[in-house]
Amino acid sequence: MMNKALYGRRKLWNGFFLTLSVLAAGFGLLWLGFILGALFYNGAVAFSSKLFLETTPVPGEDGGLANAILGSVMMSALAVLAGTPLGLFAGTYLAEYGRYTRLAFFVRFVNDILLSAPSIVTGLFIYEILVVKMGHFSAWAGAASLMVIVIPVVVRTTENMLLLVPNGLREAAAALGAPLSSVIQSVTWRAARAGIVTGVLLAIARISGETAPLLFTALNNQFWSTNPNAPMASLPVVIFQFAMSPYEDWHKLAWAGALLITATVLTISIVARVLQPKRSH
Amino acid sequence: MNAATIDTNIKVDIRDLSFFYGTTKALKNVTLPLHSRQVTAFIGPSGCGKSTLLRVLNRIYELYPNQRAEGEVVLDGENILTAKLDTNLLRSRVGMVFQKPTPFPMTIYDNVAFGIRLYERMAKSELDGRIESALQRAALWNEVKDKLKESGLSLSGGQQQRLCIARTVATHPEVILLDEPCSALDPISTAKIEELIDELSNEYTIVIVTHNMQQASRTSDHTAFMYLGELVEFGPTEKVFTAPEKKQTEQYITGRFG
Repeated sequence: MMNKALYGRRKLWNGFFLTLSVLAAGFGLLWLGFILGALFYNGAVAFSSKLFLETTPVPGEDGGLANAILGSVMMSALAVLAGTPLGLFAGTYLAEYGRYTRLAFFVRFVNDILLSAPSIVTGLFIYEILVVKMGHFSAWAGAASLMVIVIPVVVRTTENMLLLVPNGLREAAAALGAPLSSVIQSVTWRAARAGIVTGVLLAIARISGETAPLLFTALNNQFWSTNPNAPMASLPVVIFQFAMSPYEDWHKLAWAGALLITATVLTISIVARVLQPKRSH
Repeated sequence: MNAATIDTNIKVDIRDLSFFYGTTKALKNVTLPLHSRQVTAFIGPSGCGKSTLLRVLNRIYELYPNQRAEGEVVLDGENILTAKLDTNLLRSRVGMVFQKPTPFPMTIYDNVAFGIRLYERMAKSELDGRIESALQRAALWNEVKDKLKESGLSLSGGQQQRLCIARTVATHPEVILLDEPCSALDPISTAKIEELIDELSNEYTIVIVTHNMQQASRTSDHTAFMYLGELVEFGPTEKVFTAPEKKQTEQYITGRFG
């Protein structure tokens, strides 16, 4: 016989915790809604074609964010171009060659630390080894600093995506007499391609909002500059500078910049989500 | 090795073979011959070691750590368990088809070309011919000849398995290992693959692991019954199925255990 009291109590508890969970989720979503709402409200006001056509102004004058957008795109591109192959090969080592070795265990551990290291530490590190040695701030240093953030993200996703490739596929290729290098190039990389691309996209999303690592490395530049040897503006640093200023029109540009970054990250995340392979095979 | 011990009818001679997963002994001193251009079936309940035995024959177990084989597996007079042997070359001679169809994420054409390209260089026309004949041997050509550039993953399960067989025969191996090749397939696909096994045995030495007694009796010339890592009985299939020497074999075949 079913114990009615027991069942009733359990139902009551279930209802209680369900309510708590829904409230907690709603609380989080509420603030997210507020933040996005404020961002779109304030950002949209300042949004115009000038944003992409004119450089950052001095207080009181008209201007846009063109030099900061260029700087962000250039430095992110350099960081991803240099960081992706490194991360890809390291992740491949972890998943394919060294899966069961001590070295892989160690590399995985260090990579996890890097993955969660505060980005300001990355900035200081590059400041010490590049900016101080070169004697000046530069876009190179900024890109290097972002690269240090890209690498562990790509290592981690590459390894995870390769681990999702069923071993049966590796066995099948090896059973035809394929050496491991062929198995990886022709079979496992191919099978994990969508996931690895997703990882790179997530890395781009991750670095597009980073301020701290650029603050001590690329610094900022009020002018249009494509010289990687010189200081370079970037969206996050300009937002930081403008938002802290007392000038109303700089505030507007900072909101517009923030909206631009958020929209970019949102787009990248959606594309990444669409590409993400399903876990079932 | 002296001439007297080489029997030309024996393609692979398994001698006193033991296998370990870590410290667990999964095969216990198995000795049995695999006859040239004949089909040998390994039967036995789950966990008896039949798949393990198959996986020693092309040393595929070496992809994983802590797995170890002891004893001898002599292929054409050469012990393949010696360390200096090139396992990739061994696997190009001893092909394997797995339980689950494993098409590579590439076109049907490239799936079959993959193995050929590993060890041979040839003109496109010759490669086309090799691929067509492999697909024909696997009884798949008529179904895929108009869509060779489509993904191998677009095929049905039975077609995928025949693609895997085509891929294996395309490289012209000497021995083909089949690890429960029909367990994921419907009866029609199973019948097609059994026909195929029959035909391939004219040219290749075939070993098939199966859970299906009827399949073993239909397709094989010799049958090995294994239990708990030991070879219980080995002999001509007809004899093993009609007049087994051991009581355990009889009980298993008649469905009283396993």
